[in-house]
Order: sequence, then structure tokens, then C-alpha cells
Amino acid sequence: MVKIYTTPVCVYCKMAKEFFKKHNVAYVEVDVTTDDSLVEEMVQKSHQMGVPVIEIDGEIFVGFDREGISRALKIS
Amino acid sequence: MYDLIIVGGGPAGVAAGIYAARKKIKTMLIAESFGGQSLVSGDIQNWIGTKSVSGFELGQMLEEHLRAQEDIEIVDGALVERVIKDGKTFKVSTNKGEVYETKTVLVTSGSRRKKLDVPGEARLDGKGVAYCSTCDAPIFKNKVVAVVGGGNAGLEAVVDLLPYASQIYLVQRSEMLKGDAITQEKIKNNPKVKIIYMAKVLEILGENMVSSLKYEDKTTSEEKALEVGGVFVEVGAIPNADMVKDLVSLNPYGEILVDHKTQATSMEGIWAAGDVSDVIYKQNNISAGDAVKAVLSIYNYLNKQA
Repeated sequence: MVKIYTTPVCVYCKMAKEFFKKHNVAYVEVDVTTDDSLVEEMVQKSHQMGVPVIEIDGEIFVGFDREGISRALKIS
Repeated sequence: MYDLIIVGGGPAGVAAGIYAARKKIKTMLIAESFGGQSLVSGDIQNWIGTKSVSGFELGQMLEEHLRAQEDIEIVDGALVERVIKDGKTFKVSTNKGEVYETKTVLVTSGSRRKKLDVPGEARLDGKGVAYCSTCDAPIFKNKVVAVVGGGNAGLEAVVDLLPYASQIYLVQRSEMLKGDAITQEKIKNNPKVKIIYMAKVLEILGENMVSSLKYEDKTTSEEKALEVGGVFVEVGAIPNADMVKDLVSLNPYGEILVDHKTQATSMEGIWAAGDVSDVIYKQNNISAGDAVKAVLSIYNYLNKQA
């Protein structure tokens, strides 16, 4: 499963979501501003405080790491 | 062999690409992404012809306009690492290992964020040290944060943080703020904001996350500390001129020196426009216009060569 932690105006989050759409990758979006516990959850998982955080089958990517997520999703 | 390779996908690169395509110059444009540094801006209100647009939308508009041109080759997701002079032509190599040959090069690679370059900054990057206020401001809800830098970017970071942070220290090196008067007023009148002038940041401290910021009060030479959970760094930019630094003359800031009539650099066959050049005002509209000047100059140059 692909999960992306975002904030509403974060451009790198939008770029990552556009990338998923372009490559037909289904994802779940978690807007961390809707609940403080979601920020906690994101920081716990990524050990840092920047968005986006992308989780692909348990693997964590910080930022819009195009190469990393392409590798994890087997997109060439 | 290309007639022209454009390096970069900001307003300058895209403007150049559109003009070059319409002049039927055999052109390739190489860009990591489209939109330039304004990409992270939440709201741009001075892109002429558009009352309000986000940086992301501006990037999309630019890319769409560029891709609507028939006669241009676009390589995206790649960064130009090096330009080498090879006789009368140039070899342009990317981080993907590709090498392209061209008669002329237009450098519109913009600039990147300057770091504070103090102990703790790199180690705590993402752990309270942040560089994108529009992205990360909401994560700092109810936290005390510092913004370093009193230029427009610093002031805007404060504005982005106002709805979330419990208190904001704006840390400025000199004795006055430099950003737009409208934003200064907004900030100065807000009880959440405390401006600290004449402060030189010395270190960012914290074990796993940022806990404080150490600075020198330049008026008294005293060392002081602020208890903060976050530090937003907005201290200016460094031009991305590395790929041509051995070929063209740069000024002491690392900007490419250009002839402001034609955008030509000190090396025949290489032009530059936008924030990577020594243009005084770093503005989207100016970058686009200067890049158009460059392409028209390149068009004349290529015609004379033929």
C-alpha cells in the first residue's frame, strides 16, 4: 500500500501525488493538519518533521524522492 | 547536434524554450522540474496577466505552454552537471549519464537555497531545521520557532507560521528588515512575533530534535540562546552556475556575468538569463524577459554562423 502524509499547501506533496496519478499508483493521503496525532504518527515513522512522507509497503521516503519511490514502485 | 541547449525549467528556461521553438531553432531543454524557485510559493500575485497563482500552478502553466510547442525536445527529471567546450561546439552532460552536443548553450539554471552553515544545521535538517515554510509550517503547531533571515523569504516564512506557531522569533543579522513594507507591517503588529536584530546565528542545538538556537548579539558581543522547537532558514540563494564555472566569468557571488543587452556571457556561444546571471532584480517576470532577449540574440548569432 502507498500512503502519503501531507499538508494542504505543500508543493512537493502535490508533485508526489501528480507522480502517482501519472503512473496509475493508488494511494492513501493523510493530511496531518486534520489531527495532531497524525503529526505524531508521521514523526514516529520518519524521525523527522518535514512533509511529504511517503510509505510504500513499510518503506519510508522523506520528501518527493522521485528516484527512491520509482525504485520501490518499479517504475522505470 | 543541437543549435541550442537550454539548461533549466524556471520562467527563464521556459520562456526561452517557447521563443526558440517558434524561431525554429533546433533546441533541447533539460530541466529537473518546471516552475523554478517560486514552486514552493503558496500565492504569487505579481506574475503579469495573472492576479493570483500558486507556485505549483505556475509550474504547470509553464510546462503546459512549453509542451504545446512542436519544435522542441524536452528532457525532464535530469540535471545538467557539466558543459565542456569542444572546438567550436559544446558537450552538455547530465546526471543521467547522457551527453548532448550543441552549438550554443543558454544557462537558466536559477539558484538554490543558501544554508546557514553553522554546527547542528545539517544534523538536525528535517528534525526541526526546515527550509520550506509553506510545506512544513503546520507541523510546528503550538511550537516556539525561529525564522532566520529578514528578507522577503524570511518575512513570508513568518506569515506562513503565524496560524500555527505559538511564538515566532525573527532573527535578523542587520539592524533592519529588508523585505516588503506591507509584510513587515503585518509582522511587526502581531504579538506572536518578536524580532531580534543584529543577531549572528552560531549554532543549532538539540539531541534528536531542535531544542535551541545560539546566537551572538552583535551590539553587545554577548552569546544568547532561544528555546525553540524549529528553525526556518531563509538566508538567500546561491546561483547554480557550477556546470559552466570553468568556462564563463562569474562575479564574487558566483553569478554569471552577462552583457545586459544580449545576455551573452564572457564565452562565445554561451548565454545566461534569470537568477543564475548577475541581473540585479531576481524576479520571475524579469527572468522570462531576459531569457527572450537571450534567444533573440542566439538566433542572430546562429544565422551569422550559417
